Amino acid sequence: MPTVIEVSQLKKAFGSNTVLKDVSVNVNDGEVMVVIGPSGSGKSTLLRCLNGLEEAQGGDIRIEGKSLMDKATKLTEIRTEVGMVFQQFNLFPHLTVLDNITLSPIKVRKQDPEKARAKAMELLRKVGLESKAQAFPPSLSGGQAQRVAIARALAMEPKIMLFDEPTSALDPEMVGEVLAVMKQLAAEGMTMVVVTHEMGFAREVADRVVFMEQGGIVEVGPPTVIFENPQQDRTRAFLSKVL
Amino acid sequence: MTWMDFRFDIIIDYLPLILRGALYTIGISLGSILLGSILGLVISLGKMSRPWYFRWPASIYINFFRGTPLLVQIFLVHFCVVPILWGKSDPLVAAVAALSLNAAAYTAEIYRAGIMSIDRGQTEAAYSLGMTHAQAMRLVILPQAIRRMVPAFGNEFITLVKDSSLVAVIAAPEIMYWSKAMSAQYYRVWEPYLTAALIYFILTYLLGKLLSYMERKV
Repeated sequence: MPTVIEVSQLKKAFGSNTVLKDVSVNVNDGEVMVVIGPSGSGKSTLLRCLNGLEEAQGGDIRIEGKSLMDKATKLTEIRTEVGMVFQQFNLFPHLTVLDNITLSPIKVRKQDPEKARAKAMELLRKVGLESKAQAFPPSLSGGQAQRVAIARALAMEPKIMLFDEPTSALDPEMVGEVLAVMKQLAAEGMTMVVVTHEMGFAREVADRVVFMEQGGIVEVGPPTVIFENPQQDRTRAFLSKVL
Repeated sequence: MTWMDFRFDIIIDYLPLILRGALYTIGISLGSILLGSILGLVISLGKMSRPWYFRWPASIYINFFRGTPLLVQIFLVHFCVVPILWGKSDPLVAAVAALSLNAAAYTAEIYRAGIMSIDRGQTEAAYSLGMTHAQAMRLVILPQAIRRMVPAFGNEFITLVKDSSLVAVIAAPEIMYWSKAMSAQYYRVWEPYLTAALIYFILTYLLGKLLSYMERKV
């Protein structure tokens, strides 16, 4: 399988605070990579570097061969290929659910508005929210909002989806509905990088699990190894606290 | 003076002139609100941009126009700037120019506060969907920010209508100019200035009503 994301020797600091030190990892086409680790370990920062929301100071990130560090690479083009789902949903509150989803396909991809709306309705059916097309985001529950956010990202027909703790801001009873949509997406072969604290999801859906701590990758492996037979003491110590 | 001495006749006498002055006040105010708001948007974008060569001029502009008296600015524009650029002096041009330049400094800060008040996540979501900075601003940030700016703009516009009375000093023929003329002609003070006050009050009251209607609309 071809590699679609290549991260090599990535360095990132906020002022004097080093957040990522020499992180290298690849993601293959169709792979689901789940990133776990304690808060402050740099996992969200790593994810945000992948679509250029954070600018790295050293190393390289290549998305389908195009380097994000190369000034000639257009970030806006990369971002149409890389969808992102945020912890706080970040739906646009002044637009209806339908307009949230069609905004970028129409304005950025220059799609025909009618086609964009048809596609949006199809996506809303997929996440089980077609009845909410004309609703405004503040009227949605957290779980509904996050499913709309996923549909919005998918409307751009990305090749890669990034999830930044997509269930961390949800009430417990709504976590399942969001994870179900993500599982379906994984089953359809979407390339996904997921930062999460949902160990059950990681164990069930991940092809590979990355454990990060203090800005570095401690261990990478299939979920069976990471969860049942971790090779590193630090991985074991972390998992003993969260499982 | 007692109320018996109050001379309604001279008010009636001057009313056509003062009402025409009110039209000028409205015109000068609307023009300045419009131009000031447009220029203010440009300046606020300058102040929020990263390169110092946009940021510094915007900062200096805002500091200058907020830090010096409007009356001084009116004189500077009327006697120095307009004659150079226009070839002759023109009180109406100078009035609108001075008030616009002044209002731009205040509206720039209103835009900036409104834009900064929108959660960073909105911009990030827009970027993550492939939007350029300009698209994110136009399609996502400004529509939300404008709602929050309306009350502050309301204050600024009402202030501007009242401040427009200052341009009487450069003989722009608005309300205050004709009130002064009336005062000079009849050697009376209550009638002309109370009349002016009442007209300004009616104008700002109506503007306030209009603005609170708009606040409910957006």
